Amino acid sequence: MARAIGLINANYFTKADPAFTLGRPLASLPVLGRYRMIDFALSNMANCCIRNVGVILPTNYRSIADHLGAGKEWSLDRKNGGLFLLPGSAFGTARRTGRFLIKDLLDNKAFLERSRTPYVVVSSASFIYNMSYTELVDAHEASGADVTMVTAKASADYDDMCGVVAEDGRVTGLTSTVKLGDTAFMDLFVIGREFLLELLENYREVEHLDLFVALHDDLKDENVRTYEYNGYSAAVLNGEQYFATNMALLDPNVQDKLFPADRPIITKTHDTPPAKYGSGCHVANAMVSSGDRIHGTVSTSVLGRNVIVEEGASVVNSIILQGVTIAKGAKVENAIIDRNLTIAAGTELRGTQDDIFIQQR
Amino acid sequence: MLLAGGQGKRLMALTANIAKPAVSFGGKYRIIDFVLSNCANSAINTVGILTQYRPYLLHSYVGTGEAWNLDERGGGAAILPPYQTREGASWYEGTADAIYRNIEFLEEQDAEYVLILSGDQLYRMDYADMLRAHKEAGADLTVSVMEVPWEEAPRFGIMTTDDEDNITEFNEKPAEPNSNLASMGIYIFNNDLLLKALRAEKEDPNTTMDFGGDIIPKLLAQGKKLLAYRFAGYWRDVGTVASYHETALELLGDNPEFDLYQDDFPIMSNTSVQPPHYVGPNASIDDALISNGCKVFGKVKHSILSDGVYVGESATVVDSVLLPGATVEDGAQVIHAILGEGATVKAGVTFGSADPNEEIALVGDDVVVGKE
Repeated sequence: MARAIGLINANYFTKADPAFTLGRPLASLPVLGRYRMIDFALSNMANCCIRNVGVILPTNYRSIADHLGAGKEWSLDRKNGGLFLLPGSAFGTARRTGRFLIKDLLDNKAFLERSRTPYVVVSSASFIYNMSYTELVDAHEASGADVTMVTAKASADYDDMCGVVAEDGRVTGLTSTVKLGDTAFMDLFVIGREFLLELLENYREVEHLDLFVALHDDLKDENVRTYEYNGYSAAVLNGEQYFATNMALLDPNVQDKLFPADRPIITKTHDTPPAKYGSGCHVANAMVSSGDRIHGTVSTSVLGRNVIVEEGASVVNSIILQGVTIAKGAKVENAIIDRNLTIAAGTELRGTQDDIFIQQR
Repeated sequence: MLLAGGQGKRLMALTANIAKPAVSFGGKYRIIDFVLSNCANSAINTVGILTQYRPYLLHSYVGTGEAWNLDERGGGAAILPPYQTREGASWYEGTADAIYRNIEFLEEQDAEYVLILSGDQLYRMDYADMLRAHKEAGADLTVSVMEVPWEEAPRFGIMTTDDEDNITEFNEKPAEPNSNLASMGIYIFNNDLLLKALRAEKEDPNTTMDFGGDIIPKLLAQGKKLLAYRFAGYWRDVGTVASYHETALELLGDNPEFDLYQDDFPIMSNTSVQPPHYVGPNASIDDALISNGCKVFGKVKHSILSDGVYVGESATVVDSVLLPGATVEDGAQVIHAILGEGATVKAGVTFGSADPNEEIALVGDDVVVGKE
């Protein structure tokens, strides 16, 4: 029998200027050409044979529901179990702290109660990584912890990431920001299913709090441990991180870490043809998706599906989402272009390395 | 009923391990995708797929037919390989024999019309239009035909028609054709007539159980109403390695005759999930189709790279078709060639020749060219 079910909370927003998610919930933000943020947590679950996943939705859930469908791509169209789209509370997208609001979890107790697995893997949709959850659940089981929080070394200062203070792997304190090199919480934890249900009942009075804010005062009593993840991971909590994470994918080493053959990152598939390169095009250091047609210049950029770069057009150091046309002679540099836009012939859209230009729909 | 059992012997190493309909084509497709997509785009929800030669990969590729919207209640993709009966066991012998042996399947479907297709042709056709013509004319059998150049007519089954496109004569590979309307091997039968004709044909001791050779001439002789349905447009049967190579590379260029990007009639496929492809800092790509999962560090010109192909630094790929998972190591050259699935050309090795008189260089699946 399966050991764990999955629970992904997509009902939150970050402290950052919301412009960077281009009006979408973070979970359905397009990233790395053909993916959406939620694909990473969901694929990691699918790849370790979790076949029962609940996704707590924000009120503007259209793009998430559209992307997930019946969960077929992630083998979640099951007779028993499968994908459950769960209602999130209206507070979700209004608050700016924490990704695990107690009320959201409490409101969906039924999902937890109906399962018989011993564990729940709970995640947000803000991190990009390819991790064996099998090993993670093994470690949780072996340690005897009540809660296992997955951590990574912070690669910069973050005002929106929870820091973890631990002694010999036992969590003794939690912080609301982290500095470079600190142990940061990856918004991913394993918890006993029944233990989680008990915990939620105990916190019913403070359901407006984040689970880890509430747990902070009880760390002496509960066995909360860390699981240090040393593989590649990237947080996407603001515009700078979004841009940097896309660009990091241009490193073949990162590609190999994120997309190993035995653990694919799964996403909704479309019937788009292979990318077409015209005569005289110039492409270097770029991720190019299916359905793209390139006649101009593309360098150091990530292109989503069905992007057209016409003759004489150029795309430099930019992220172009799906369905965008860069018309003849148009120039795009240091920019993010939202989906289905047409950048008119001859137009120039430029940001700087430090101030990326965002063209929203 | 989709005939997908052929060996495709003249495709040499390309069909050593897999049936011709399952051969990779056009970067992310397999040949059978084109016909199955025609079915999907014609709102056909039940397809029997008759398989025989090396069927495993074909079966697993088609699966439930989900990729072509065939996983539908009351419909579906039914895989129909030859099977044993009380009378014994044997292989499908001839196109009509394959259908004959699945009469039970046809009876079970209880359909009014049966469309018979080949799984190894490349074209776009809305079969609903053909069926409409069949019904409007009140035909017993409709054969899809296309005009071919007169000098090529002796290679085809040629239909002679009256001025209302009724077929008056059928000649298989005539030395002196009196028409240039070639049969495309696409038929719509009234189901009752088909079942009757197949049973009658089986009784004939001299039969070869072939639609073109036996069934159609007999129906004509019986005075049945046979309609020619004219098709104009792109249609290819990639019979040989040279025609496979040529047809694949025809997809390139600014205005290819067959447009993969026509979005109101998509070509659907059962694809693996791979990341977008990566083009390295020193790469140079000119006139190419490149699929997901590829990594390109060298030079690619006038070529097709299928899913997960790797082209190393300073490697060159010209006028070539690389099937899924092929690897061209650093500094290797692949010219005027086809690399099978998972094939490798080792570093610095040259495979193929720019000399247009040379044949297409071809290696089969998982073959390594050059020293290990």
